[in-house]
Amino acid sequence: MKLGILLTTSPENENTNTVIAISRAAKEAGHEVSVFLMYDSVYNAYKKEFAELIDKGVSIAVCALNVEQRKMSRVPGILFGSQYDNACIASNVDRFISFG
Amino acid sequence: MKKITVIVRNLPLNTRKNAEALRMSVGLTLREDKVTVIFMDDGVYTATHIKPELLNFTPMDKAFEALSMLKCPLFADKPSMQKRGINKLIENVKPAEREEIVRTITESDIAIPF
Amino acid sequence: MQDMSRITELDLRGEVCPYTFVKTKLKLEELESGEELKVILDHAPAVENVPRSLKNEGHKILGIEQKGDNLWNVRIRKA
Repeated sequence: MKLGILLTTSPENENTNTVIAISRAAKEAGHEVSVFLMYDSVYNAYKKEFAELIDKGVSIAVCALNVEQRKMSRVPGILFGSQYDNACIASNVDRFISFG
Repeated sequence: MKKITVIVRNLPLNTRKNAEALRMSVGLTLREDKVTVIFMDDGVYTATHIKPELLNFTPMDKAFEALSMLKCPLFADKPSMQKRGINKLIENVKPAEREEIVRTITESDIAIPF
Repeated sequence: MQDMSRITELDLRGEVCPYTFVKTKLKLEELESGEELKVILDHAPAVENVPRSLKNEGHKILGIEQKGDNLWNVRIRKA
């Protein structure tokens, strides 16, 4: 199954741990997982757990505009993407869940 | 084609969230999915004639214009409007009964509360 | 017969994502297959993302040219 996850909250929100846990479990169960980070959730790109998810094969993209607005630097392995990428995830997955 | 519903529930003038929800809604149309935006609870204020620019916030007119041009239905929840004494909405946002709001959300393939 | 030498120009200075791509897509819808569109952008992330998204939609990127500190031309051939 293809799973898409949208996260919009900043790292101190409990949503972050939920998204990490769901992504990890889904990937370990053999599912394809794509995560899109926008609004304050782009700060999650710096978390080591997200780097670990990338190593496991989870695809992670951020809204480049939100990253630029927050003067953040790029993180290797994370696509410096756009709202088009979020649209592609929503359009292509079997299940899409959002955490906001 | 999927049915995607974005639900805006927060006050518009103490956060950038609502503007971002609308920008995201515009983006979600790019793969030909049908995008509907619902304003409910305090989110209904977003669809009124507010002036975010007075607080140095970017106005949301552009997103509303784009969503209208892209023919995305925009609904405001009537009970939320009545509770707040709102009787005037910006152009192209339609007041909708709670039943219609519930039907729209339950018929969606994807619902995004923002 | 369509005029393949015609280049349509779209000035997107001041626009950010997703409006850069939405407007490019709408302009391409007005063109015939094989026609060329030149898009002017001044938002750096869009210079990466608009061509990548267009390629994903099947269009051809003929070139990306930096014209100034924050100014780029992207040439597209409609699929």
